[in-house]
Amino acid sequence: MKRKWLWSTLVAGFVALMVGFVPQPTQAATESYTIGTDVTFPPFEFANKQNQYVGIDIDLMNAIAKQQGFKVTIKPLGFNAAVQALEAGQIDGVIAGMSITPERQEKFAMSDPYYQSGTVMAVAKDAKIKGLSGLRGKRVAVKTGTASADYANAQKKKYGFSVVTFDDSNNMYQDVMTGNSAACFEDKPVMQYGIASGMKLKIVGKTTMKSDYGIAIKRSESATLLKKVNAGLKALKANGQYDKIVRKYLGNGSEAAQKKKTAGTSETDRSFMGLLKSNWGTLMSGLQQTLWLTILGILCATIVGVLVGLLGVVPNKFAQGAATTFIYIFRGLPMMVLALFIYSGVPSLINEKIPAFVAGIITLTLNEGAYTAAFVKGGIAAVNPGQMEAARSLGLPWGKAMRRVILPQGIKIMVPSFINQFIITLKDTSILSVLGLLELTQTGKIIIARNMEGFKIWSMIALIYLIIITLLTWLSNWVQKRVNAA
Amino acid sequence: MTIPRVEMKNVRKRFGDNEVIKNINLKVDDNEVVVLIGPSGAGKSTVLRMINGLETTTSGEILIDGDDIAHAGKSINQMREKIGMVFQHFNLFPNMSVLDNITLAPVELGIRNKADAVTQAKQFLEVVGLTDKADAMPASLSGGQKQRVAIARALAMHPEIMLFDEPTSALDPEMVGDVLGVMRRLAKQGMTMVIVTHEMGFAREVADRVVFFADGELLEQGTPTDIFDHPQHPRLQQFLKQVLNV
Repeated sequence: MKRKWLWSTLVAGFVALMVGFVPQPTQAATESYTIGTDVTFPPFEFANKQNQYVGIDIDLMNAIAKQQGFKVTIKPLGFNAAVQALEAGQIDGVIAGMSITPERQEKFAMSDPYYQSGTVMAVAKDAKIKGLSGLRGKRVAVKTGTASADYANAQKKKYGFSVVTFDDSNNMYQDVMTGNSAACFEDKPVMQYGIASGMKLKIVGKTTMKSDYGIAIKRSESATLLKKVNAGLKALKANGQYDKIVRKYLGNGSEAAQKKKTAGTSETDRSFMGLLKSNWGTLMSGLQQTLWLTILGILCATIVGVLVGLLGVVPNKFAQGAATTFIYIFRGLPMMVLALFIYSGVPSLINEKIPAFVAGIITLTLNEGAYTAAFVKGGIAAVNPGQMEAARSLGLPWGKAMRRVILPQGIKIMVPSFINQFIITLKDTSILSVLGLLELTQTGKIIIARNMEGFKIWSMIALIYLIIITLLTWLSNWVQKRVNAA
Repeated sequence: MTIPRVEMKNVRKRFGDNEVIKNINLKVDDNEVVVLIGPSGAGKSTVLRMINGLETTTSGEILIDGDDIAHAGKSINQMREKIGMVFQHFNLFPNMSVLDNITLAPVELGIRNKADAVTQAKQFLEVVGLTDKADAMPASLSGGQKQRVAIARALAMHPEIMLFDEPTSALDPEMVGDVLGVMRRLAKQGMTMVIVTHEMGFAREVADRVVFFADGELLEQGTPTDIFDHPQHPRLQQFLKQVLNV
């Protein structure tokens, strides 16, 4: 009887939560657009010490929206995730210091150019390399999908270097500073800004591949949003607001002016405690997101896993086949692939946006659910078959025998696996940072992108995960004791 | 003539080319106690388990009061309600007390309310001599006690037929007597029983009819006197020589 109560509560809670996720119809009073951006591409976009997104792109986009009278939500998804989300139609545009290239013009509607940039090469401050010819036999770091990466790849044969690819600028810089890579290629303003913020790098050689930055817009919006963006850009350039925005971040171009600008955005106290204090709020909001993902993920995965696991033991070949297939597919897929498939693959098929959070929960449900189903099935199979025979010989139907006799014994066998799975789910939420979800790991990436304190911030993140896992383990052990006592 | 309680007609069971049960024809009448004997692997337990549908058949019919249980579909649950079964390894539910083991089926199947089921369970515990163990967990019982609880659990469904699958084989010798005692009383009260056992003395004492199996075949049947004192089939003679001379 007690167990019935528990199940109905769980199911009711689950239903209530799912209802909360159903996308509410959006009001159409003023048009509202979602624009994706990179998490770390200063001075175009970066989080300041209040963890608010600022930068040329952010200010420009907001100014255009204001000038043209539409609403805009800017989401720091990471460059790749943003481009993928745009391709999948999850968002309406991307502003992320994106060079206008023929490929992009083909795929997206590109706005008029709003900034001229070019590729520069940077090496460690104390390095002796003076140009491309010094790179023979060495390794060079680039950021995926950038014009600078294309440039490096085009030159690597001629100058005899190899290329290693990173997902964000910070990791690329770190690779050069630690000496793993000899040089990196980056857009000029970004490189300048980075060096001014204290990265021990220097620019060598000439600016090449001069290119124009443009805003990528979803093709279907080329008649509406694209027109507004171009009109807005034109107006801002004409009234001087554009220059004001650029000056705000790049000053007059001198190093001193840059340093002054950067000082305003970065922390002063760089000790562990100082950083912890200044980033506390950000870390906690990341943790909160991680906990939500974990709790909902565990709940949904457990329900789905138990149902699929039971399906796997029903005396019916079709049901068993379905369960086996479910487990085979979703246990076999790497979680990151599954997450990206659901978030940017499925929407282009069904023509319906899937919010990142929902995509994350679905990913956890399927992946962790498959593991859960496997051990639920195994746990039931581990109960002595004589138990089922005895129950059936008394005239109990299969379902009643399962519920009253087999499951209570099977659950005891499964409890350690459940605890294990809960902990794995918590850790796996970090993989969902590829969807741009602002959970703990993504939060860490963003903070580090701003202050370059990789060691200290990752230590904090690691510590937070360990604390939560310890608490979760205590809770689970307590539950296990209760179950075994029952 | 009344319909036999159990009637097996041309029953066969085959795994690929291997025929494990070969054309069995067997009747059990009301109030009759039938004991199945034979060497291990003869198919006695398989035949017994076929009677309540725990074992499938390849061909043939198994009629319980005239209804075929081998092709019963969903009504197999109702048919099983009147066939009690006691297993070699007791198969008590370890997650429930003795009392809950006994009341589970009557309550779950809506045959009795909880209070009635408890009163009745206590009566059956008295029958098997375990009144003081009502609240014990199965793990704390000895083998003999477990088997007597298992008998009480089966009796709680008021079965018309009781099947015993080597009920004393897993017991320490000093426990065997208690279990056989309970079975003896059941037989005296007129319960229809089919018993697979290696206890030849018990078979001779309680059986109305003894059936000898070897290699999946029913080779000989008759009264205990026929079977034990005047065995006809050489295979039975050989078997008795082995088990009685030990």
